[in-house]
Amino acid sequence: MTAKQIISRIGLWFAVFVIVSPAILFFLWMASLSLKFEVDNAAYPPVFIPEHFAWKNYADVLASNRFLTYFINSLVVTGSATALALLVGVPAGYGIARMAAHKSAIVILIARITPGLSYLIPLFLLFQWLGLLGTLVPQIIIHLVVTVPIVIWIMIGYFETTPMELEEAALIDGATRWQVFRHVALPIARPGIAVAFILAVIFSWNNFVFGIVLAGRETRTLPVAVYNMISFDQLSWGPLAAAALIVTFPVLLLTVMAQRQIVAGLTAGAVKGG
Amino acid sequence: MTQSAPAAAPIGAAPEKQLRPPSYWPFVVPALVVVLAIIIFPWVFTIWMSMNEWKVGSPTTFVGFSNYLRLTSDPRFAEAVGHTLVYTVLSVLLPLVFGTFAAVVFHQKFAGRGFLRGVFIMPMMATPVAIALVWTMMFHPQLGVLNYLLSLVGIPAQLWVFHPATVIPSLVLVETWQWTPLVMLIVLGGLAAIPTEPYESAQIDGASLWQVFRYITLPLIMPFLFIAGMIRMIDAVKSFDIIFAITQGGPGSASETINLYLYSVAFVYYDLGYGSAIAVVFFLLIVALAAVMLYARQRMLWTEIASGA
Amino acid sequence: MADHKITRRTLLTGTAAAGALSLTGFPARAEVNWKKYAGTKLEVILAKGPRGDNLQKYVKEFTDLTGIQVESEQIPEQQQRQKCVIELTSGRPSFDVVHLSYHVQKRQFEKAGWLADLTPYMKDPTLTAPDLVESDFSAAGLQYCKNDKGQMLSLPWSVDYFILYYNKELFQKKGVAVPKTFDEMVAAAEKLTDPKEGTFGFVGRGLRNANMTLWTNFFLNYGGEFLDAKGNILTDGPEAIAATKLYQTLLTKSAPPGVAGFNWMESMASFTQGKSAMWIDGVGWAPPLEDPAASRVVGKVGYTVVPAGPKGQYSATYGDGIGVAAASKNKEAAYLLCQWVVSKTQGARLLQAGGGVPFRNSILNDAEVQKGVKMPREWLQSVIDSAKISKLGLPVIIPVAEFRDLVGAGITATLAGSDPATELKKAHDQFRPILERSEKA
Repeated sequence: MTAKQIISRIGLWFAVFVIVSPAILFFLWMASLSLKFEVDNAAYPPVFIPEHFAWKNYADVLASNRFLTYFINSLVVTGSATALALLVGVPAGYGIARMAAHKSAIVILIARITPGLSYLIPLFLLFQWLGLLGTLVPQIIIHLVVTVPIVIWIMIGYFETTPMELEEAALIDGATRWQVFRHVALPIARPGIAVAFILAVIFSWNNFVFGIVLAGRETRTLPVAVYNMISFDQLSWGPLAAAALIVTFPVLLLTVMAQRQIVAGLTAGAVKGG
Repeated sequence: MTQSAPAAAPIGAAPEKQLRPPSYWPFVVPALVVVLAIIIFPWVFTIWMSMNEWKVGSPTTFVGFSNYLRLTSDPRFAEAVGHTLVYTVLSVLLPLVFGTFAAVVFHQKFAGRGFLRGVFIMPMMATPVAIALVWTMMFHPQLGVLNYLLSLVGIPAQLWVFHPATVIPSLVLVETWQWTPLVMLIVLGGLAAIPTEPYESAQIDGASLWQVFRYITLPLIMPFLFIAGMIRMIDAVKSFDIIFAITQGGPGSASETINLYLYSVAFVYYDLGYGSAIAVVFFLLIVALAAVMLYARQRMLWTEIASGA
Repeated sequence: MADHKITRRTLLTGTAAAGALSLTGFPARAEVNWKKYAGTKLEVILAKGPRGDNLQKYVKEFTDLTGIQVESEQIPEQQQRQKCVIELTSGRPSFDVVHLSYHVQKRQFEKAGWLADLTPYMKDPTLTAPDLVESDFSAAGLQYCKNDKGQMLSLPWSVDYFILYYNKELFQKKGVAVPKTFDEMVAAAEKLTDPKEGTFGFVGRGLRNANMTLWTNFFLNYGGEFLDAKGNILTDGPEAIAATKLYQTLLTKSAPPGVAGFNWMESMASFTQGKSAMWIDGVGWAPPLEDPAASRVVGKVGYTVVPAGPKGQYSATYGDGIGVAAASKNKEAAYLLCQWVVSKTQGARLLQAGGGVPFRNSILNDAEVQKGVKMPREWLQSVIDSAKISKLGLPVIIPVAEFRDLVGAGITATLAGSDPATELKKAHDQFRPILERSEKA
């Protein structure tokens, strides 16, 4: 290795360090906050590694507030909203891509850019009228506002990049369009579906605005539960950070585990659709 | 209601087997139904509400466009538009710059790249409410870790989100931290598609790193940067969770964007009619921006095809 | 989390609280048929805080007494208010009993007719224990719970006076006396401010909207009135300008940096860390200040009434009530719960834990109850003294939220150097049409 190569190697690692450190430091600090007692958390200069770990913060969060119920609620809402979105969104993405129907893509774009808040009141009145409040159904439906556009958008992009030749050949061989979709296009698009799935899951999981209005005591999702934990009578950074970490942990785990799919998918074509 | 629709598709599609302009509509119908129910219906209803004096707890009356007229003389709305524009411009540009840099770095080969890339994209995947709460703690002017870090390098304590002059840049800092990874991923995709020949010849010519980037890489990833910019714009304009959880639009109204104001009017003042009018105008604003960008994207696509990329 | 806090407070205040208190809330009279609604299930929506804690902790006793099942939940104030309004509007609320903030919601709830009239229940001896009489509630409480027709739409639950918390150690160190007037307070604040040591003379809410509850303390003591006889808002007059100037002086010269973004939480953090010498806020913060796990100033906190202004001395007063949703199908059972919530037993527990102050004089003035208070004696004294000079801290109008937002934003702006008179005028130019619209509708 020449001196120049060594220098550029050091430079590269320095650059990597600079790029990655904000994320690493943030999550380490978050962990630190979650493991400290309140006296340490409000101390200045800050205490980075406390003498006594406040594991109790986690125990408290998990033990109280029906965390398990909220976790299951989140799982049901995100799971259903994602599954439904894939069910309708993947074929739609395929259809739009094959028709080159950019006009319908605009509808999806509009859905994507509409502020989530403006769905809230009309849909609330609708659910009220249908008598669905108090169940998880309203949240599942309103989460479709998040998941459906993501799935369609990503799938359009993905199907635009998949080769047409195979499909045309299959059509000439007498396959129906549904068969072509099912046996030719879909298998090729599997990585794209994985990406759509992962992103839909993450953004649905993270959503909290809808839950504030639509969730009752039994139907609350995790992000709403965390927000509700902002303590009334004291500054409680420790339990708050612990709760925040618990909520976001599944997502972070998914990110690190599926980073290959996310990166591959986003870089290989999904983004071309966006 | 939507489950049976895809299965029904082949029936509709079966009769015409020739390669005439094929009808792919059956694939789209289920999604269309969903979109109509959850996206179009709320919009129609919102427009109706915007034409009414619709305050929670009082009877509603039709008032035509007077809610819209009220907007034109509402200084708070005008301020919110200003804040939104500043916030958006900064939240598009900074992630573009840092994201491109990060993409160039991650395009290199080094040990542990996959894992570090995964770590790098964690901020954009983390639950916004959760990270916003932690940022709030970090911004604390006396007890926050950020001022402590500044004090280590001799910079005086800042007020961050607690001063009208620094609140938007501070929020943009969070937004940038959170969304730079998205730009990175998009640009990384662009880099992967670049042929290697130009670089080889540049190396022979002895071009500097900067020259290589400026004259070879940048033009080639331009379309990707553009797409990243568009996505960023859409997300930044309607950014809500971060601002809401950290400042709720304050101090004073220094970080009150349109979306935050909309929230206040609709869900704090319960003025649904006026709130709906704001939602409609806000939406038209974004549509206008998006239409411009979509048009530009089409042109980009053509340029891309024309240049053989 | 609410659960662990109860545990902590209980640990802190000792187990004596329950023991010291005789369970005399409901004298055993044959008239009230407590078991009449046994088997009913009630839903209660509560704002998060010590009041809600107090209810949830002991609600089993109510169930034992009446056989009525109670399901309740606490939600942070802002969301709770929002959720209540949305559900009540829908006409089919998911709750029977609602916890409301009088200073924000009184007019709104009255005008919309969301609350059941409790007047007939109060008069019914089979429903109401003999010790619960209207005259037992303080004047502010009655002002809050009754509409203009004199109907009781809720039962006053807990009153919140603003008091002055001060750090005795810092006062001693700088040789400063506890201020009795605004002028003394400004002088003391300046003397107590020492940026080199990171200590400041005064801390309080600077955050838009939240800051109004502090500001009105100044406004009232400068002789301000919120509304004139015709219902016009007056908070941009000379009293308001003087109050804003005082607010500006205190919070720019003697307060910690960033105070413009402080709500009670940040203010409390600064105070519990010993960084700020004075803090004016609601009376309910004593428990965390005296909790060694959350505070570094345990045993060093002084409590007193808000200093006098040139035109008087008032304690800006806010309050919570508990009422029955008009749409509820179990109104009588729900009323029994409300009655239990404001009962002597429950009120005493609330006061003794420092979580709030009952509106009922028979509780506050009961020597036995006072003895059981776990907070410092000075705290109780400040409560009793504040009760004597209590005055409603916000105008009783529908658009309270808009008022707090708009005027609050103007007041916050003065912390960045804007002129008080200009900001107030600007805020009121925006607020007046909103007020007119809402009162007309």
